[in-house]
Amino acid sequence: MKNKKRRTLQVYFKSEHNIDLSKVIRYVVLTAGLLFTIVPMGYMLISSLKDNDKIFSYPPKLFPKLAELSTGNYSYILLNENFFRYLLNTLFVATMTVLIAAFLSSMLAYSFARLKIPGKKIIFGMIISVMLVPGLAAIIPQFELAVKFGLHNSLWGVILFYSAWVIPFSTFLLKGYIEDNIPIELEEATYIDGGSVFSIYRYVILPLASPAIAAVSILNFLFPFEELGWSQAILKTDEIRTMPVAITMFFQAHNRTDWGYVFAMTVLSMVPVVIFYLMLQKYFVTGLSSGATKG
Amino acid sequence: MEAIAKSFKKKFRKVDWRIYVIFLPGILYVSTFTFYPLIKMMVMSFFDWRIGYQQVSTFVGLENYIKVISDPIARMAIVNTLAYAVITVPMQMIIGLFIAVLIHGIRRFTVSFRLAYYLPVITSWVVVALLFRYIYSNAGLLNYFLVDQIGIIKEPIGWLSTRWPALFAAMLLGIWKGVGWNMIIFLAALQAVPKVYYEAASIMGLNKRQQFFRVTLPSIRGTVIFAFIMLCIGAFNTYTPIAVLTAGNPAHQTEVVLTWMYYQTFSTSGKVGYAAALSVLVTIMIVTITVFTFIVSSKRRGK
Repeated sequence: MKNKKRRTLQVYFKSEHNIDLSKVIRYVVLTAGLLFTIVPMGYMLISSLKDNDKIFSYPPKLFPKLAELSTGNYSYILLNENFFRYLLNTLFVATMTVLIAAFLSSMLAYSFARLKIPGKKIIFGMIISVMLVPGLAAIIPQFELAVKFGLHNSLWGVILFYSAWVIPFSTFLLKGYIEDNIPIELEEATYIDGGSVFSIYRYVILPLASPAIAAVSILNFLFPFEELGWSQAILKTDEIRTMPVAITMFFQAHNRTDWGYVFAMTVLSMVPVVIFYLMLQKYFVTGLSSGATKG
Repeated sequence: MEAIAKSFKKKFRKVDWRIYVIFLPGILYVSTFTFYPLIKMMVMSFFDWRIGYQQVSTFVGLENYIKVISDPIARMAIVNTLAYAVITVPMQMIIGLFIAVLIHGIRRFTVSFRLAYYLPVITSWVVVALLFRYIYSNAGLLNYFLVDQIGIIKEPIGWLSTRWPALFAAMLLGIWKGVGWNMIIFLAALQAVPKVYYEAASIMGLNKRQQFFRVTLPSIRGTVIFAFIMLCIGAFNTYTPIAVLTAGNPAHQTEVVLTWMYYQTFSTSGKVGYAAALSVLVTIMIVTITVFTFIVSSKRRGK
């Protein structure tokens, strides 16, 4: 059995190199490459554990002594800053953005994929071409709109515009998924059983498209942890700030030198995102790759 | 089968209103929050636009566009953005594809490697930009390595205090953060290439490098085009890394299009019409690149 497997493998890698050697090289190169991602991240973690007066001591140490490290920066951030307020704000914005975008883009995707609507190709093209426009491009009229609706300096001002921002890409992915993966026969069956478009949407599209909806929702969920330009323009009061704005403001308020505090805050802000990613890892790949192979 | 599908579609014409209940909410939403502002932005670009009560906006034709094109800072911002795109887009794709190919060929620890290389992608731009600002500082980690460890340079470089070193630093950050995204989508594409292709190729006597160029690359070209377009859009969308790393300093030399537009929008000396014209110009640039990519890639396919 083992021999047979090995022989087929040798057909695959019909080269002079031994299979194992080429694998070893792969592992070595991959591990070496990891240094580039791990070193800066580790450096941030270590710097977050150093006192602010030691942080610019030269030479910088990647491996300081244990005695030099303390959790003082973390307790400062957790006790003196509105850290949990910012976290809750960001989570709230993320959740609402995900819900609005999932609801509207799944209905849009279903319409574009299956319903007979005059001019839907042109409308779909318009929605897709929005993806080409830089997110901040229409910031002036959007800001005026937010002021008109009384949405400035409010989390809803961020939520509503974020949702509109992510809907085109979500619709694009979901439409592709529905077209490729949901057999039209199921809709026909529901229809023959006396169901309307509503029941098809509710009992066929939503459950069967749920992997794709989950995938786009994950991407959408991370968006508020990322975006700075719009939220910085909208959120002016401290207690409604989201994480990216809060971190930027904190950095500027601390005279751009208290790196220990700053890094304690950034490390803490990464915790929920990393946990979220670890839990839902496989959906990330589905979401990204379904868009990639469609394109 | 088709007949059923046809009659199915025909029957649905009778229940028109239900279709629109599904279709219209999303359309109205996108129209209000995206289409309307975009159209208004285009209109604004032809006006000397004033914000506030009793302010009169006057039509100025193409004056804003002429101002943008003749403004040395705007031109510098456009050049900086283009340079950022030209360097970071191919570099991210090449390194990302390289790592994906490596990971594709191994069995163990693939999840750990994927996770570790993806870590910069899920970390927010604000966080990584602050981190790199610290690493690039005069007594920071990068200068320490270059001066004291490797000894390539004698004096520490003020990475963020002059134009090209600062842009180079921003590009390095952009590549560093983007590689993981490319790795993930290329890995998914590689996994979708049928194994039979490689068997056939090795029977034909192609070595591994030939297999990569004649089997792998053509099989994943859809993904390559997708990644290229998404990364170009991303490169022109660059705002946070520059805003955090340099804020356009020194003297607006490191502005990219969006930071300069943001400055024009919200600073007291800025002009709204000017910013709108700049937005329209960036959009035109991205649309041109995308259309060009599609034309070139479909021509290649024709051959």
